[in-house]
Amino acid sequence: MISRPIREGFRGVGRHWAMAISAAIAVTVTLIIISIFLIFTFHLQKFTRSFEQQLHIYASVDYDYESAEKEEKIKEQISEISGVADIVYHDKDEEYQYYLDHYKDERVREFMTTYSAGVNPMHDAFYVEAAQGSQIKDIADQVKEIEGVFEVTYGGQSTVDIVRVLENVRKFGAILVAALSLLAIFLIQNTIKLTISAREDEIRIMRNVGATNGFIRAPFVWEGIIIGFLGALLPIGLTYWVYQLSYEASGGVIFSQMFQMEAPFPFLYYLCGILLLVGIIVGLLGSWFSVNKQLRWRR
Amino acid sequence: MIECTHVYKRYKSGTNALYDINMKVEQGEFVYIIGPTGSGKSTLIKLLDGEEAPTKGDVKVVGINVGKLKAGQIPIYRRNIGVVFQDYRLLPTKTVFENISYALEVINMRKAQVKKRTNEVMEVVSLIDKGNSFPKELSGGQQQRVAIARAIANRPKVLIADEPTGNLDPGKSDEIMDLLEKINDAYGTTILMVTHDLTLVNKHRKRTIVLEHGHIVADLPEGGYVRHDQ
Repeated sequence: MISRPIREGFRGVGRHWAMAISAAIAVTVTLIIISIFLIFTFHLQKFTRSFEQQLHIYASVDYDYESAEKEEKIKEQISEISGVADIVYHDKDEEYQYYLDHYKDERVREFMTTYSAGVNPMHDAFYVEAAQGSQIKDIADQVKEIEGVFEVTYGGQSTVDIVRVLENVRKFGAILVAALSLLAIFLIQNTIKLTISAREDEIRIMRNVGATNGFIRAPFVWEGIIIGFLGALLPIGLTYWVYQLSYEASGGVIFSQMFQMEAPFPFLYYLCGILLLVGIIVGLLGSWFSVNKQLRWRR
Repeated sequence: MIECTHVYKRYKSGTNALYDINMKVEQGEFVYIIGPTGSGKSTLIKLLDGEEAPTKGDVKVVGINVGKLKAGQIPIYRRNIGVVFQDYRLLPTKTVFENISYALEVINMRKAQVKKRTNEVMEVVSLIDKGNSFPKELSGGQQQRVAIARAIANRPKVLIADEPTGNLDPGKSDEIMDLLEKINDAYGTTILMVTHDLTLVNKHRKRTIVLEHGHIVADLPEGGYVRHDQ
């Protein structure tokens, strides 16, 4: 009994192939757009997150507290602050080396090396990573209050502003994809609705010979699923091929090392899975609602 | 088999289509419903096949009070009756065989049984060689035969025919009438046929109920001649 609707669904697609193709094209076009925006938004999230992860709160330790025991206590207190994702400890030698390594300016290097004769002006320090960029200021303020912390820097208001902008960019991207998906569903549903409306008579005849609503609906729903599936094939193929090609051509790097593309696998498997699922679900819902509209009648 | 008791039908638009209809059709009878356009013939058919509910009164077919059925029960009720329409109402994308077997599939008949019964009724309507044809490949008369085959496939006790010869020339109309008479005789199927073709009515004489302005104005016994003013 289950095989009948599936068989009838395939038969329906075959016998109404022109309408099925037009509906499948609508699915294809919208899924291609969704695919582009999904890749774009995913990478936008990835870039902004990786940028945020590079933002650290620098907390230097007062010279008077530079002992293993006291520093352990400070670390403990920092780790208790909510939103702290990671704490990395650098002793003053590591800090000194860091400055030497990172300052290319000869004058700074020269100035720093004057201390190399046994006196290190640097402080031991903690690099605190926030779970979310938006928490940086709050965490920094709380770290500042801990006894033994000499100085706290995190880039100040400009960092907070950048984080806020990035957050908005992420939100905007997610809203865009959601809105686009809804629009796609609406467009596809409308196309499927048109193909089913054209078969209003067919549905009426089925009712005339005693078919129940469920009996009439099932093959139409399968038709929608098949159309959604067929419509998703091209976007899946294109996404798979174009993404892999761009990854290979760019070496996975966009503009700079900071902006890296997601490795094709398993990313493409998930993405293609999502596209297939969206196609099928939209096809199913589109036909379900359209047939239901035709089946609703009162005496 | 069919019983209408004090049936009234008034549409939401305010049109009064039927007034106090009382009629009884016994099992195995072949009855014509005739009358001019707007006399209420189509409304009567709609009441009998459950498309509309009466405003007042009872419409009973095969013992079921059709007017009291809920919308969801109508498809199940329709499996007890066969209906043939003037415009054939065949599924255009299904073959002759599939159109007929569809009526059997909806009642969950087993596949082998569906095949056997479909071939049987195709034989009855002399279309055994057209099983794989689509409706558009058939003549009007052949399409109506398919519609009749579909209507009798699950062996209903009642067959309602709404102007079945309306789109056919006299020769083909006679063929359809012969077929309906054959079904009436062979299976004892009660047939209620709406028509305005008086030539046909007088040629194949049956009990005839005359409707006018929503009233039954005459109920003529089988064998009588129907005048054009009736």
